[in-house]
Amino acid sequence: MSTPTTSPRATKPLNARDRHFVDRFSYGHTPALDQAVRSAGGGRAWFEDQLSPDRIKDKPGGKVRGWYPSLWYSPAKLFYRNYHDIKPAWEVMTDFGRWTMMRRTLSTHQVHELMVEFWSNLLHVPVGDDSAWPYRIAYDKLIRAHALGRFDDMLVKTTTHPCMGLYLDNATSTKRAPNENLGRELLELHTVGVDAGYTEKDVKSSAKMLTGYRAEIYARGPKGEYDAVWAKYVTDDHYVGKLKIFGFKSPNKHADGRKATEQYLRYLAHHPATAKRIAHRLAVRFVSDDPSADLVRTVARAWTRSGTDVKATLRALVAHPQFASSAGRKVRMPLEDTIATIRALEIKPKKPKHDGAFADAIFWVASNQGMTPYDWPAPNGHPESNGPWSSAGRALTSFDMHRSLGARWWPRQDAHFPPYAAFLPALPAKYGEVIDHASVKLLGVHASGKVKDAIALRSGRALNQKVTASDMSDGWVAQLLTALLSSPTHMTR
Amino acid sequence: MNQTSTPARVATKPCGCPDFNLSRRRFLGGVAAGTAAFAGASIFGDAFRQVTYGAEPAGPVLVVLSFRGGADGLSIVVPKNATDQGVITSQRGSIAVPVDRLVGGNANWGLHPALAPLIPMWDGGKFGAVHGTGLASPNRSHFDAMEQVELANPGSSTRQGWINRAIGLGSSLPEEQMQLGSSMLPTSLVGQAPALGAGQVTDLKLPDLWNDEKLTESLQKMWSGHPTSLNDGVRTALGSVGRLAALAGDEDGLEAAKARYPGGQLQDVLANTAQLIKAEVGAKMITIDYGDWDMHNGLGTNDPQPGQWMYDHLDHFANSMKAFFDDLGTVGNRVTVVTISEFGRRVEANGDHGVDHGYCNAMLALGAGVHGGDVRGSSGLNLDKLADGDVPLQHDYRSVLWDILKGRFALSDGQRSAVFPGSWSYASTGIMN
Repeated sequence: MSTPTTSPRATKPLNARDRHFVDRFSYGHTPALDQAVRSAGGGRAWFEDQLSPDRIKDKPGGKVRGWYPSLWYSPAKLFYRNYHDIKPAWEVMTDFGRWTMMRRTLSTHQVHELMVEFWSNLLHVPVGDDSAWPYRIAYDKLIRAHALGRFDDMLVKTTTHPCMGLYLDNATSTKRAPNENLGRELLELHTVGVDAGYTEKDVKSSAKMLTGYRAEIYARGPKGEYDAVWAKYVTDDHYVGKLKIFGFKSPNKHADGRKATEQYLRYLAHHPATAKRIAHRLAVRFVSDDPSADLVRTVARAWTRSGTDVKATLRALVAHPQFASSAGRKVRMPLEDTIATIRALEIKPKKPKHDGAFADAIFWVASNQGMTPYDWPAPNGHPESNGPWSSAGRALTSFDMHRSLGARWWPRQDAHFPPYAAFLPALPAKYGEVIDHASVKLLGVHASGKVKDAIALRSGRALNQKVTASDMSDGWVAQLLTALLSSPTHMTR
Repeated sequence: MNQTSTPARVATKPCGCPDFNLSRRRFLGGVAAGTAAFAGASIFGDAFRQVTYGAEPAGPVLVVLSFRGGADGLSIVVPKNATDQGVITSQRGSIAVPVDRLVGGNANWGLHPALAPLIPMWDGGKFGAVHGTGLASPNRSHFDAMEQVELANPGSSTRQGWINRAIGLGSSLPEEQMQLGSSMLPTSLVGQAPALGAGQVTDLKLPDLWNDEKLTESLQKMWSGHPTSLNDGVRTALGSVGRLAALAGDEDGLEAAKARYPGGQLQDVLANTAQLIKAEVGAKMITIDYGDWDMHNGLGTNDPQPGQWMYDHLDHFANSMKAFFDDLGTVGNRVTVVTISEFGRRVEANGDHGVDHGYCNAMLALGAGVHGGDVRGSSGLNLDKLADGDVPLQHDYRSVLWDILKGRFALSDGQRSAVFPGSWSYASTGIMN
């Protein structure tokens, strides 16, 4: 049942098509986001604007930069401070997770943030890696610079970056004793994929081609202590000689093999198997777990024709009819759910000043649900399909998070919360209208008949019952908001 | 087996429904009678059905501990014969455990010294191993190999793991197959039968507010008919929380249990597992991940000692297992643990005191029913006949798993192909009594 409501409300929801763009290409509804879509002239136009983040003001996202100053120290300084117990690695990486969550929550550059997440998960280096961590923030900066650029440029830089090298052992791999770890994962995870048909010999040659990019932590510093880091290309360590790798051929004649390696990486970036694999992955992330062959083909073609240009590829993806017809079919991953919940509740985290500050503590809220930024422990990155994020345990821990934030239990410090009344229509009103108004404000869409009935059942109030302001004490609003957050409307996108 | 004949998720009855107060046996009977749950059961004989449907809560429990990352079996269980030792010395002399440092073995085999805390179990015949185990053919990709190991159904495109098959045909209560340590289910549990995943057993409760007597029914109504897979999780949750309330609410008990374990990756998850088993809520198969075995560099040296990656990893495993069986006490008499890793490592060491991806491995079995005190099924590894530089295959890993399933859950050989379908050659390893 659904009673059309006539009560006045501050905003009308976006139409379904525009709504779908922000569901898929933002970290969740806010009234400001709706406003941006309207000003741009609709979802598609908003999306196009988002592809050029340099042209979009980002005051809220920019502010976050000053919240965790030590993130901007050099890898050498971060390592030195860890070694001398000034600021341990885990604190730095926890701050990096917080900063990342705050960027996603507050930045107006939503598509850029999403693509940073997407590429980071494809070219994954876990924040918890003991060797790579001093370079992890520099690596993030690199991905941020290329996230809406060209994949081939990005792949050349990420593969040869000390962060990746230290994580997957290329930093210690030499012509005398090649280490196959990165050579294999480059093929299997970063580019063509495990089914592409490369051989064990290709893996070995891939490892040889990557030799030379050395890096070390616990290196000896100027005072003789092992408190330094370095990264450089060592020509003596590069394997020289003809290499054939999965269709790529190089004479690889020079001790400085950087050119040859770059050619190899560009070859992989442009390989049809890479085009298809990344097209499929983009489709799973932004369209559907079960993308049609035509969608994958269309996106792969845009990838290839544009020379691995990310913007052109994304444009092809959103233009495909399957994009528009897939609304509501993606499950929000727990971390997406947490961020969308903060945004929906219009909680504005502020610079952390006290113990338990919202921006700090929200990291532990995410952690309780088993997902914080870039914490997946293996090089394959976390799954992006629905199934793995659909277990009973996931549902229960997310319900718990909705309660904690919806009822304003924890965290509360150093954040602005709107008054609960901001989610209510002018009262008295029928309870069905109250639910619907809160749904539009919180989630950007009308409440479905099912959701209204379910909330009526939970509250013990009939939909046509008139409620007054005194009937809607904070506890009642908390129940209403929590219920809406735990509905399929909020937990999928 | 005909997948379509097995109804999915039959027992997601919400708590609060009339069945809720029935005894567990009646509950099971009620569910079965009311659905087509037995449609696939004819494939299994009566023994399996009796065990899985009719089991009292205090039945056998299998804990599958996944050594994710590809553990180096040659560092864990070491052959002593001259041929194997000759190859080990020449190809990985810099990282191999010297024979005189091995513990707990016999004439043919020895264990890594960090496994010393488990030697009493080894000597008592409660801890054994099978070596040279693996997939039917090598797969050196972590993620592909894991998927293959856990689906254990080569050639099929059905995403249903071997544990789900073993459990799924026989019963339908999600708490019978559980992953602890993460709410994300491993592939072995994925499939038609519902499974539970949780970071902690105390997560398995429904978060309510002050005026929330109707919470369960409200969530049910809200999610009914919702098309994504999250609906399955919500239904499973709503169906199980009532039965798990006592366990989920015992936070003090869980904290006290944790204190009985050594600190590290396995501490919380094994404490949770022991609590789950002792609570007798019907858990049958529990999966746990113990990761970080991808030792491409810095595995250790030929002087194994604390501070080295392999040493510390095995030391944590050994002390944690000891604590686990101590914690279980007599309940441990019905609990079997098996370890499995997606692949072994290459025999030859690389230049970083590490080993790259390889093929065959060792599987360890501990606890109830284990024919321990030895490496069963072989007297050496035939390292003079390396498979592409790797430990050659002697036992399909499914043979080990089947031996354990059969030994613990009283299955008959005719039921083997339902759990491990396809053509593969089973040969008993002798790992179970």
